[in-house]
Amino acid sequence: MSKSLSIIFNKAPYGLQSGRELLDIALMAAAFDMDIKALFIEDGVYQLLDNQQPDVLYMKNHSPTFKALDLYGIETRLIAEHDLDERGITQEQLLPVAETTSQETIKQVISESDFVFML
Amino acid sequence: MATFSLLVTANPHSSQGQFSAIQFAKSLLSIGHELKRVFFYGDGVLVASRLNHPPSDEYNLTKSWAKLAIEHDFELVACVTVAMKRGITNAVEADRNALTGDNLDPAFEISGLGQLTEAMLESDRLITFG
Repeated sequence: MSKSLSIIFNKAPYGLQSGRELLDIALMAAAFDMDIKALFIEDGVYQLLDNQQPDVLYMKNHSPTFKALDLYGIETRLIAEHDLDERGITQEQLLPVAETTSQETIKQVISESDFVFML
Repeated sequence: MATFSLLVTANPHSSQGQFSAIQFAKSLLSIGHELKRVFFYGDGVLVASRLNHPPSDEYNLTKSWAKLAIEHDFELVACVTVAMKRGITNAVEADRNALTGDNLDPAFEISGLGQLTEAMLESDRLITFG
């Protein structure tokens, strides 16, 4: 049976490289046929904002790569609705790559995973 | 007894994470668990430079990891992408990229993220030190 892996994005992009690094881990693990869940919580919801322009910060924009999660067979992609609301972000402002859900559902997914990554 | 692997992302020069990781490694080995691989990612790869030279009265993480890995026969692997970005390179990569020198400690190897996934698949536990 393949092992399951939750990858938790909980930080905003560009101030730290953790979002990009987690994305690379997710795509690599997907190539090994692991059962992967991408979870966006707390400031991690900023990772999915559409129309990011980090080039003004001399940073590479890694957000288009989130669209590849689906192509790599990462079917569970969840955003904590509560954390979106708390930050005044609507789903229309996000890349259409993940669905919103409750914190309870996200906790459940994490507790059922063999491995959990958060950088 | 369980098989462990570690993921170390902590900066060796400015964070306690690497020290915690090596203490954890020593503890688990001392009670008979197996350590398969320590994978260094993010700023964690900075520990793989053999040119790291802390003051003589401070703990040398690079040498300590090397000694422990040789004594207990586990792997020290640094992610190639983040290592190259931070100027950590072996002779092969230096040559390939026309760099003027190399600095990877001989106890470490440089490899891809696949080694992290493989460590997960072949270990009972993977513990992150960030």
